Amino acid sequence: MTIAALTILGPLAAAALILVLRRVAPALAVAGTGVSLAGALLTLVRVAGGARYEAVLPGLPEMPLRLVVEPLTAVLAALVAVVSFFVMVYAVGYTTGEGGKVRFFSVMSLFAAAMQTLVIAGDWVLLLAAWEVIGFASFLLIGFDFERAGVGRAALRAFLYTRSADLGLYVAIFVLISRTGTSEVSATLGAGGAAAVAAGLLLLLAAMGKSAQTPFHGWLLDAMAGPTPVSALLHSATLVAAGAVLLIRAFPLLPPTVLVVAGVAGGLTALVTGLTALAQRDLKRLLAASTASQYGLMLLAVGAGSPVAALFHLLAHAATKSSLFLGAGVFQHAAAGSTDLADLEGVGRAHRRVFLAFVVAGLALVGVPPLSGFFSKDAILAASFASPAAWILAPLALAGTLLTGLYVARALRLLWRGTEEAGSVAGIGWMGAGLAVLAALSATLGLALPLVADLLGAPAPEETLLVGAAGLVAALVGLALGWRIPGFRLLGPLLGPSERGFRTGGGFDGLVARPALSAARALDLFDRGVHAVVFGVARAGLALASASRVADERGLDGVIRALVRGARSLGGRARRLQSGLVHRELLLAAAGGALILVFLAVGVIGL
Amino acid sequence: MNGMQDMPQGGGGMQMAQDLALLAPEIAVLLTAVGALVFEMLRLPKVSLPFTVIGLLVAAGLTVPLLGTETTVFSETFRVDALSEWAKLVLLPATVLCVVLSYPEVKDTDREGTVYVLFSMTALGALVLAGAGDVMFLVIGVLLSSVGSFPLVAYPRDDRATEAGMKYFVFGSVALAVMIFGITYWFGATGSTLISDLPRLSGAPLAAVFGLVAALVGLGYKASLVPFHFWAPDAYDGGPVSVAAFLSVVPKTGAIFAIAQIARDLPAGASGWPLAVAALAVLSMTYGNLAALVQENVVRLLAYSAIAQSGYFLLGVVAVGESGLAVSSLVVFAAAYAAMNIGAFAVVALAGRDLRDFAGLGRSRPAAGAAMVVFLISLVGIPPLGGFVGKFLLFGAAIDAGFAWLAIVGILNSVVSLAVYLRIVVSMYGRAKEAPVSPRPVAAVWVTALVFTVGVGLAAQVLLGRVA
Repeated sequence: MTIAALTILGPLAAAALILVLRRVAPALAVAGTGVSLAGALLTLVRVAGGARYEAVLPGLPEMPLRLVVEPLTAVLAALVAVVSFFVMVYAVGYTTGEGGKVRFFSVMSLFAAAMQTLVIAGDWVLLLAAWEVIGFASFLLIGFDFERAGVGRAALRAFLYTRSADLGLYVAIFVLISRTGTSEVSATLGAGGAAAVAAGLLLLLAAMGKSAQTPFHGWLLDAMAGPTPVSALLHSATLVAAGAVLLIRAFPLLPPTVLVVAGVAGGLTALVTGLTALAQRDLKRLLAASTASQYGLMLLAVGAGSPVAALFHLLAHAATKSSLFLGAGVFQHAAAGSTDLADLEGVGRAHRRVFLAFVVAGLALVGVPPLSGFFSKDAILAASFASPAAWILAPLALAGTLLTGLYVARALRLLWRGTEEAGSVAGIGWMGAGLAVLAALSATLGLALPLVADLLGAPAPEETLLVGAAGLVAALVGLALGWRIPGFRLLGPLLGPSERGFRTGGGFDGLVARPALSAARALDLFDRGVHAVVFGVARAGLALASASRVADERGLDGVIRALVRGARSLGGRARRLQSGLVHRELLLAAAGGALILVFLAVGVIGL
Repeated sequence: MNGMQDMPQGGGGMQMAQDLALLAPEIAVLLTAVGALVFEMLRLPKVSLPFTVIGLLVAAGLTVPLLGTETTVFSETFRVDALSEWAKLVLLPATVLCVVLSYPEVKDTDREGTVYVLFSMTALGALVLAGAGDVMFLVIGVLLSSVGSFPLVAYPRDDRATEAGMKYFVFGSVALAVMIFGITYWFGATGSTLISDLPRLSGAPLAAVFGLVAALVGLGYKASLVPFHFWAPDAYDGGPVSVAAFLSVVPKTGAIFAIAQIARDLPAGASGWPLAVAALAVLSMTYGNLAALVQENVVRLLAYSAIAQSGYFLLGVVAVGESGLAVSSLVVFAAAYAAMNIGAFAVVALAGRDLRDFAGLGRSRPAAGAAMVVFLISLVGIPPLGGFVGKFLLFGAAIDAGFAWLAIVGILNSVVSLAVYLRIVVSMYGRAKEAPVSPRPVAAVWVTALVFTVGVGLAAQVLLGRVA
């Protein structure tokens, strides 16, 4: 167990130490995730040897904190550790000559530690805590360049979106705990009946928020405001992955009705965000939309009843997407910090080795054999064809595959076209090292997937030749079309909404954020309004009071005004002492009291 | 119901002595106030401060051996139970922090020592409220904590403070008058001033209900619940920051605990009461958070946030008698709330009242800035900080008591509150300005508050073990 705990403690200790030993921040961060990597791999080896552990730590009463190491959590921990280690290595190069390293590496380490906690948490309270820390760390990282226009807003948006969906996780956990009386994850997954449906739908809501599924996908595109290593980490192994991880881990709980909803939601996301990716003019935004689309395919796999296929794709996607982002980061440095596709034209020619890694990762994502994505996408397609809801899930899965081919080909084409001489890149050594390993993984990981299935003891979905061929054809057609025809022309009338990320009806902003703010302003006006309106009335009131002093002084008003007059000499500023103000407010308070009175009277007397 | 009395068979004198021993912490607070006043009269304000600090800490220390006692003193009129014991353990150190925080603001002013006396007297009022077993103690508690805090608000004696003090005074007097007026009806209907005689109210006439509501109005004003909150933002902003920190924590917690003391003894069929309290909770949470969303003045923002936090507090009150978690959730949240709220006000005392004063604080004073982030995200309720554990328990208690909808309203509100507090965080990491001066007492306060904000979160298990 101690070794498994290293996966969390390594980066956590690094996050704290960096704040003290500020000089060696990058080295500490790499060391921290390195410890985490070693711990995760050793754990994986031991688990493969048949070992299972659980640690129980003191927490809330009756609800101890637990860490569990079993095949699923060990595989996920290894995934997070591998990606965070190599992204951290890359980040050493990426941040060469830039400021704010202490903050950057400290929060990145915290981010990795929180994600490790999430994947090996054995009880809901600890999982919830990790979930929230992940959200907060991502807020800090997306808002890293807070001085640039719009960055603070983007960070806030990302946090608010995911937080609102977090509501689902809170309520789901309350439902599960009150239903089963324990907070242990594995024990609550047996809850059946209505509780399982309610909790399942709520968990799905939380997962959709974190994994940027339609209609919550808007924040992910804006979150590109963060530094590129942050994007690489949060798209492949941490923040966005948390949603998929949650559903994969909670799979035994989900009843068929919830599964269908999850599958359709995922499939629609794959479609909508796939189109969005095709219309983006910025490389990082294109990759972001693609992330949402790929997580849509994972949800679809869960919905089709095959969490193993979803796990395969999570692994393959983690390797490919982190490579793509790391490649994009190099291009960004080469193009003087811009990620606009117009500025990046031809940059692939100037940096051929990086471009090669980018191509390998891109083709792996599309699912070209024998690269990793081929195996995972095959599993998803097979699962969707075998599912009871195949009539809807299978076409959605095929469409998602086709779209992946289209937008990847479009990105490759734009990066290769033209002949611009790009500038040299500082820190390329570190960046190249991180990128090379992850790209190699995205090429070869497919061979390891059967081992993972054996380890989990859950077979991958049965493939048929026909399904495999359909998937391959969809991918290749997508690639060919995307390479030949500009994406804008392919989209036709869909171009406009695709470019805006399908924010129909103002999207989430219009539904939640704006009404809340206007209600807030109205309430403030109400408070101030009483001040402003009464300001004039108050003077009139004072004049009136002196006119009818005798009559008034018997009532409450008179008392107040008399006090006000006394205070005049005390404070020396009677003019702005608004007797009417206090009195109006007291009236409101009295009305509130009277309401409660009526309410209780009706209750007690039973009218 | 009330704990049973350990009635010794000795004479009345013996009983008296035992009762006084159980009240030792309260007596110590009173003596502290008197002693500090004597030093002030001798023109030794420099002695007054350490005397107050030590006196209050001794009083808190005297509470420790009482922990676990469940009894009443002076014929059931005052309760020595978990709520009143933990009120002392939380509120007295909180008062010490506020006293220390006030030192840079009031030192070398005329009648500096009076401020410390007033802090102690107001704290005593809050403690009386938290242990009230009799309606007269409710009145005395509200009165004591009000009379002590009116002059605190008006202490700077400038126009703004005077106006705020005046407003607070008018509002407070009326609320208190209503409370006393209503309580006479209560007495008339039940024939007893003991809260434990409340079951006699069942099937009682309107007059008795009026008494109960009047008590709620008086306590609601002290706890700044909507719609009895109007004085709070003005009073907080008018007076010194340390007084705002104090008012938002000490009298408020006392009043909430007093409402819980009433809730414990309600007749079984009184289903209207929890609903009325739940309605106040919804109003306070929602109104407080939404109004805070548009404030440009951080003290006013925290004032509205404190109104919202009172709403969260009420979730625990609603569950009293229905859920075993209720009392411990109230205590844990009180401890977390005291630490994070005083901490946030301490950083305001350092940075300034305007939201613009916070621009760049995260860079010019990184440690204080980081502490502020911790206080604010704890106020939101993000784990693993104290605010999270407190809110988690409150929500859990409400759900346990069958008020799941109320917990959902609370969770939704905590989403909104995030936007409130992040406004401060975002501006803190903007362009740096010159660093504000950081007086040493203020730094001591926020460091202590930081330790407790994190500590309550991490040591929740230990704390809960002691409460339950």
